[in-house]
Amino acid sequence: MPSSQTPPIGSTALDPTAARPPIDDAIIERVEPSALHARLSALRAEGYTMLLDLGGVDYLERSPRFDVVYHLLKLPSKIATVAEVGHPERRRVLCGVPADRTVLPTVSDLWKSADWAEREVFDLFGITFEGHADLRRIQMPADWEGYPLRKDYPLRGPARERTPRPAFANKSNVRAGTPPSGRTAQALQRQIALARGQQPPGGEEPK
Amino acid sequence: MSTVEIPQPRELEIVERSGNQMVVSMGPQHPSTHGVLQVITEIEGEVISRSSPEIGYLHTGIEKSAENLFWTQASTVIERMDYLSPISNALCYYLAVEKLLGISDRIPPRAQQIRVLLAELHRIASHCVWLGTHGIDVGAISAFFYCFDLRENILDLTEQAGGARMHPNYFRLGGLNGDLPEGFMGRLDALIEKFPGRMGELRHLLQKNPIFQDRTIDVGVLAIEDALEWNATGPVLRGSGVAYDVRKAFPYSGYEQYEFDVPTRTEGDAYARFLVRLDEMDEAMRIIRQVRVQLDTPGPVMVDDTKIAPPPKETIAISMEALIHHFKIVSEGVRVPPGDIYASVEGPRGELGYYVVSNGDNKPWRVRTRPPSMYHTQLLKTMLIGELIADMVVIIGSLDPVFGEVDR
Amino acid sequence: MEMIPGQSFLLGKIDEVARWAQSSSVWPLTMGLACCAIEMMTATAPEYDIARFGSEVFRASPRQADLMIVSGRVSQKMGPIIKRLYDQMADPKWVISMGACASSGGVFDNYAIVQGVDTIVPVDVYVPGCPPTPDGLLYAVNLIQQQIRQGGRGGILARA
Repeated sequence: MPSSQTPPIGSTALDPTAARPPIDDAIIERVEPSALHARLSALRAEGYTMLLDLGGVDYLERSPRFDVVYHLLKLPSKIATVAEVGHPERRRVLCGVPADRTVLPTVSDLWKSADWAEREVFDLFGITFEGHADLRRIQMPADWEGYPLRKDYPLRGPARERTPRPAFANKSNVRAGTPPSGRTAQALQRQIALARGQQPPGGEEPK
Repeated sequence: MSTVEIPQPRELEIVERSGNQMVVSMGPQHPSTHGVLQVITEIEGEVISRSSPEIGYLHTGIEKSAENLFWTQASTVIERMDYLSPISNALCYYLAVEKLLGISDRIPPRAQQIRVLLAELHRIASHCVWLGTHGIDVGAISAFFYCFDLRENILDLTEQAGGARMHPNYFRLGGLNGDLPEGFMGRLDALIEKFPGRMGELRHLLQKNPIFQDRTIDVGVLAIEDALEWNATGPVLRGSGVAYDVRKAFPYSGYEQYEFDVPTRTEGDAYARFLVRLDEMDEAMRIIRQVRVQLDTPGPVMVDDTKIAPPPKETIAISMEALIHHFKIVSEGVRVPPGDIYASVEGPRGELGYYVVSNGDNKPWRVRTRPPSMYHTQLLKTMLIGELIADMVVIIGSLDPVFGEVDR
Repeated sequence: MEMIPGQSFLLGKIDEVARWAQSSSVWPLTMGLACCAIEMMTATAPEYDIARFGSEVFRASPRQADLMIVSGRVSQKMGPIIKRLYDQMADPKWVISMGACASSGGVFDNYAIVQGVDTIVPVDVYVPGCPPTPDGLLYAVNLIQQQIRQGGRGGILARA
């Protein structure tokens, strides 16, 4: 029984957050960077005592390019049993960050746990947080150049980007960074022809 | 590119030096840091006055690797995040992707039962490692051997079911790789019988031991406001008084049908967290007993959808359609509709969550982990101040971080 | 026992005894990084018990250890530290590269993982697996013991 939800080949969404199916996992809202701190402050006052997570996404060809996603949870801030906790409300706040101005206000004054999460977003995406007390790299060494989780950063890192991969690891549908090990289809045809003692087709030098 | 100045790395500064003040860097290679953690502490005699944990020594780029693998292949690298209970990583990831695919309500009940069984077994296995290493840190080395012996039984079961002891990659989109093999139930029954005796021994070794109590009572006290502020979940939060358990708050994979309690304490010290985790092991076995009864009923373990689940290998030689479906799924993967979703499970460490984004392709666009251990490690910035160096080890142990998850 | 021409019989015998003693008490360094570290801990646990092969204790200080078992994936930040630890170990020392990640980068062919710890330190035995079972690690320790007894680094005449 084929799944009606599986999309046909060739349709990829530029903005997945706009194209999402109706799944009830959290109340979702989108804010602008300028309104972010005020909105999150209001939500904190409303009872969202826990900032579950803070993460970044790079939507390369979308404008604004990046999304920083805040997951909030309403938990009682006193001793509570399972019944009192119940089904707490979850909220997801998405904030689009344009590629030409990768700055956001920090929320580490609202929730202290945002400290390292924002450092990680800075380290891996290059988005700076104004007002953060100690914004430095957290996962990569301090002198690392580049922001690894951006989509235009090669998977294997700039130093090894062009070194050959083992032949069995050639994947023609791999995006973001890994070229095949230097053997294009043309080069392969050429090599086969030479091995058979024939004229190599095209006469072009393989890359 | 950004027009804002990138701040320079800042050195740890010492404002005043008095006679006994010293900066000690503990780690990243140290017997008691439970992995590769570096804690740069400023100590005054034996008392810690400032602490700055440094992570990143195990950064593996798992999230970036996952973006370049098919949806099913990505779970191989994602399982290696929390390496003490790989099943919970795989379970959470597949829950998220199955919701995006829209097949969450079509997962066969037997598959869900086996998922719950393995998740709870791995909760016990993870707590075994925690207990063993916590004991070693404090000096009670005997507990380590009892715990790891119990863990061996669980790893045997995992190996039988999934093929590997630690990272079985047994789960698939829509269910499991295959049903449980013969002999599994016998081994599981033997474990269920062995467990109460072994737990009694472990409690006897540590729980009423006055030395252990001296070292853990009133050490590393975490108030509720701090716990919520610093984003603690799991046993760390429950040790302080808030009974938030994702299995009760947002039930998944059939947990609503099982009867189990959520152990909670109010003291908030290391001993409270110790008791919470011990009780959790008992509750996990309670769930396992209920699942064991359900597993007597046979049934399918994979969703009935040829676009997602590869057909059985035997049918490939007979049916052209089966061959084509198998070929497509293996060579091209499964396409997941575009969207973003956050799914979470109650891992042994806390709320493990995945924010998965798909753009309609056959590979994830982004898999963002909500790592419970990272937020617990961040707690060390405040929890260590005023404590003795000897207590630092106890506190790190009671928070139970796993650095595969912290650094990813 | 091999006699090197010109070497005295007595020194050769003492060397043999020294190699036997070294191979029977190889003390590893606690160099646990990731998942392989858990299997390394399991190798000290009852079912596999590395202590019966002489590795009674795992020393935390590199000055007191003979064997560095690099168990787990080596990240960019950790690489220099492994080199420093290796340099701090006293001669004679041996290295086991445990698991696929330490041997070659394993599943992680990306920017963050050093593709093989043998780019940083010289390795004596590689153990395949992800993670290898503790049996595999025990066999690796046995191979190191064989290497010590049959030649290679070790003995009273040992040099780096």
